Amino acid sequence: MVNFAFKLMLRDLRSGDILMLLMALIISVSTVTTISLFIDRLQLSFEQESANLLAADRLIRSDEAIPKNWQFKARELSLKQARRTSFGTMIFSGDALQLSQLSAVTDSYPLKGAYLVDDTLFARGQPSKQPPKKGEVWLSSRLASLLNVRIGEKVEVGELQLTVAKYLVRDPGSSSSAFAISPRAVMNIRDLPSTKVIIPGSRVRYSLLLAGEPVDLENFESWVVPELKEGQRWRTPVEKGERIGDTIVKAESFLLLAGILAVVMSGIAMALASTRFVKRHLVQVAVLKTLGATPKVLIKVFSIQFVILFFTGALLGLAVGWGGQGVISSLLSGLMSTSLPEPSVGRLWLGTITGLVSMVAFCLPMMLRLIKISPMSVLHPSRKLEKNSLALYSMGFIGIYGLMCIYTKGFLLPSIMTLAMLAIGILVSIVGWMVFKLGRSLTSGATSGWQIGFASLYRRLLPNLFQLLVFTLIIMLGLVLVGVKSSIVTEWQEQLPVDAPNHYLFNVQKDQIEQINASTENLRVLRSDWYPMVRGRVISVNGKSIQTLYPEGKGEPELYERELNLTWSHSLGKGNKLLSGDFSADGLSIEQRVAKAANLSLGDTLTLNIGGNIVSLPITSVRSVDWSSMQPNFYLILPKRVLDGYSANFVSSLFISNENAQPFYKSMSQHPTVSILNVGDILKQIQTVIEQLSEAIQLVLLCILIAGALVLIASVRATLEERLEEGALLRVLGAKKALVQQSLVVEFGALGLFSGLIAAAGAEACVYALQVFIFKSQASWHPLLWALGPLIGISIITAIGLFASRIVLKVPPMHLLRDF
Amino acid sequence: MAKRTAIKVSNLTHTVTANTGDLTILKGINLEIKEGESVAIVGSSGSGKSTLLGLLAGLDVNTSGEIVLYGQAFSSLDEEKRAIIRGEYVGFIFQSFHLLPSLQAIENVMLPAELKGDEGARKKAEQLLDKVGLSHRLTHYPNQLSGGEQQRVAIARAFASSPKILFADEPTGNLDEANGKIIIKQLFELNKSQGTTLIMVTHDNELAKKCDRHMVMSEGSLVEK
Ligand SMILES: Nc1ncnc2c1ncn2[C@@H]1O[C@H](COP(=O)(O)OP(=O)(O)OP(=O)(O)O)[C@@H](O)[C@H]1O
Ligand SMILES: [Mg+2]
Repeated sequence: MVNFAFKLMLRDLRSGDILMLLMALIISVSTVTTISLFIDRLQLSFEQESANLLAADRLIRSDEAIPKNWQFKARELSLKQARRTSFGTMIFSGDALQLSQLSAVTDSYPLKGAYLVDDTLFARGQPSKQPPKKGEVWLSSRLASLLNVRIGEKVEVGELQLTVAKYLVRDPGSSSSAFAISPRAVMNIRDLPSTKVIIPGSRVRYSLLLAGEPVDLENFESWVVPELKEGQRWRTPVEKGERIGDTIVKAESFLLLAGILAVVMSGIAMALASTRFVKRHLVQVAVLKTLGATPKVLIKVFSIQFVILFFTGALLGLAVGWGGQGVISSLLSGLMSTSLPEPSVGRLWLGTITGLVSMVAFCLPMMLRLIKISPMSVLHPSRKLEKNSLALYSMGFIGIYGLMCIYTKGFLLPSIMTLAMLAIGILVSIVGWMVFKLGRSLTSGATSGWQIGFASLYRRLLPNLFQLLVFTLIIMLGLVLVGVKSSIVTEWQEQLPVDAPNHYLFNVQKDQIEQINASTENLRVLRSDWYPMVRGRVISVNGKSIQTLYPEGKGEPELYERELNLTWSHSLGKGNKLLSGDFSADGLSIEQRVAKAANLSLGDTLTLNIGGNIVSLPITSVRSVDWSSMQPNFYLILPKRVLDGYSANFVSSLFISNENAQPFYKSMSQHPTVSILNVGDILKQIQTVIEQLSEAIQLVLLCILIAGALVLIASVRATLEERLEEGALLRVLGAKKALVQQSLVVEFGALGLFSGLIAAAGAEACVYALQVFIFKSQASWHPLLWALGPLIGISIITAIGLFASRIVLKVPPMHLLRDF
Repeated sequence: MAKRTAIKVSNLTHTVTANTGDLTILKGINLEIKEGESVAIVGSSGSGKSTLLGLLAGLDVNTSGEIVLYGQAFSSLDEEKRAIIRGEYVGFIFQSFHLLPSLQAIENVMLPAELKGDEGARKKAEQLLDKVGLSHRLTHYPNQLSGGEQQRVAIARAFASSPKILFADEPTGNLDEANGKIIIKQLFELNKSQGTTLIMVTHDNELAKKCDRHMVMSEGSLVEK
């Protein structure tokens, strides 16, 4: 039986029907595979990037030395470990001295990510997996300039002399302590005791870094977290990577959306191919039945074909998908700082499931229906199938919806898309019906292409409406993706212009401002406004002290945990947005995320201790702050009158290009009390990620659009036979080639125009919903969509239609009548 | 010598539900056909000839009455068993040929044997195609053959399962006179040589006269002439 089924299928291959099914399956499996593998690789790469930020999988930060038994426990769980001890200290070189942020690390540091070091000042850096050797120290370029030392020379740390071996460009795991504002240096932890700089009472930050299997890390976490005392924190990469987090989340949502569209398109392709397959096999199955094929035999034959088809399609699809993501990744590799990690083979199941679900949802019911056909239909060819197609299509619908949910691991996105598609379905049916009817009544007769075209649109109303729906859906999905892509990318670019600030100046006194302004102006350095900064701490909320609210600091939100930088300002700064309340009122303006974390809202009163004075203020406005804007940002903004009496430091952010860096540092050496924080690394990281992502989603978009075009072609082909038959008939009846051509242009043109218009409307609505609910960004109009929709509709569909129908126009009509 | 009964029909009625209400197509038909007989059924269009033929061959289930084919009552069988009987006893020829378009002529003829898992399918098919004069067109596809040729392939296919009864619904309906004659000739020859019972619906009176028995269908009733 296998043999017979296989033979039948091989013979069927020649007719192209099975090939269509196979192609649809391959398209669906391969697009989903490509996208899911690619997402996987990006995710792995983000994990690596965030590992770079943390230099480990997990980290414990402590104000006291890390207890030895923690290290034993970690070893017991076979976790890799490294330690890092950071503190501020003076580094000397001859007469020069500079307060620096020095970290001493074990040889195993970093567990994840790498140092970037270089032999020239202010260079880009080469990765290094090893920390400095015993006896060596690495200085940041700024520190080296300030101390006026070069590689090979010596500096003193406490009682020890160390040789400068490299210039430090990036210090993995340090970006978190972004507010350690002195220039950096790294040394080996084995040299630490001999420096004798750490004495009881020194402010030192100890870190224990861990890496290993997720299970072991989880075990360690559940063991160690109850042991944590005040001043000790357990950290995971996610919180650390928050800055790029938002960007990545958006990109992931986009890619998931793309995946969904791939799934929907595969569904459509599959449905089209199956319908066609069934149509062409109806009589064949009936004939087989008259020849004695029993239902059992037919079920066997078709099941075997189904299985063979599935395996062939899935395997080929997976192979094509694997290749596809490889191509995308290698296209991207030129742009990427690091090469993407290999995708995990385990992710292939998603493509396989997609193939299986779309076969089961679309192909199987059709095949079953095929098997049920009455053998009587060989004698009454017009009575073919009982029409329970609603149930059939809902099965497909459920299948697609299920796939989308599996794919996004959620319901929101699939539900939005499904609703949109339903709405479009209804809209298309109504508008299409009206237009075709109107077109028919306006043009009667059969003397011009217009008349014939509209007549045939109206005559085959149902199939044409269905085709209109397919066209509309595909164009709409494509447009949605284009719209979402362009709004995400624009948003990203606005967020991080190339001249986004990459340095902060702290500790600036009022009388230094003018001088600094002068020197930045000389160097044409871009600078933000100056913000006054006064330190203060929240001591009670609505009259209840923090100590009583959070005894021993357990569960304390960030806002109460440490001293805050307070400022005043007359206007909302760049990247700030007022969410509620009145910014100019005489009260506190709070950032929404910390407000939420501390469960605060408008009207709550905070009591602050500012330099020994106690001030109580109500919250009068809530702001959102774009943290990736790299502007100086503040959790709390106070009224000017409250902070007026205090001596404030000022803070500002600057953009300093590589060429400007050295002269700028030199000019700043006149102000040794001013601290400069270089956030260029973080910034560069964010920028690379954004660039990669923009590029990546562009490519994925292209992929989907190509798949969409293929499905369009398939759907034109699906109704081609009837059109061909008709064209041939018209020509037999004496119609000129030009007339037939004209009528086809009218037919396809009208279908294209309306699907394009409706698709644009649908896409606009969809993009709006997505922007509001999924991407949480501002909704905007997309004139591009309204232009693209009808344009694509008319040009592509007419082109595909005419191209596919070129046979009608070339071949002598006799052939056609014989073929069909 | 007393011949076996091939088909016995008693009180056959067939009613279908159309959108205008129930429609009784066949009204109490009684009929007995012996093995080896050839029967022609004529009648005006829409009188129910094809419906009767389909019921006799077990392609559909009648509403009431009984059809017994070689001792087996169709009404007591499910589609599975009916299909087995069709494969075993019945062959078909249709007005519109119904060859499978994706299969070559020879493959179409091999089909019944292949369905049964017969080993010598190809050899037998070649012989049959030779008998209908198409040995030079074995590997042609249906759309490369003329209507008459297609019908000859269909005849070869119908005889491939060595049926005891052959049903033909207007086998010459789509053919010109010359081709129709060839088809008829071959049909009767094969019928004779294999001893098949032949039940044929036709509009062609000359053809009907060649048959042993001649029946007229009129508004759902059958009258022997
Ligand atoms: N399932 C059905 N539903 C509704 N009407 C049916 C059905 N089957 C047959 N009929 C009707 O029953 C009548 C007889 O049909 P049948 O095909 O048997 O006629 P026929 O004698 O073969 O005609 P022709 O010579 O034109 O082939 C026709 O009017 C047909 O429309
Ligand atoms: Mg008939």
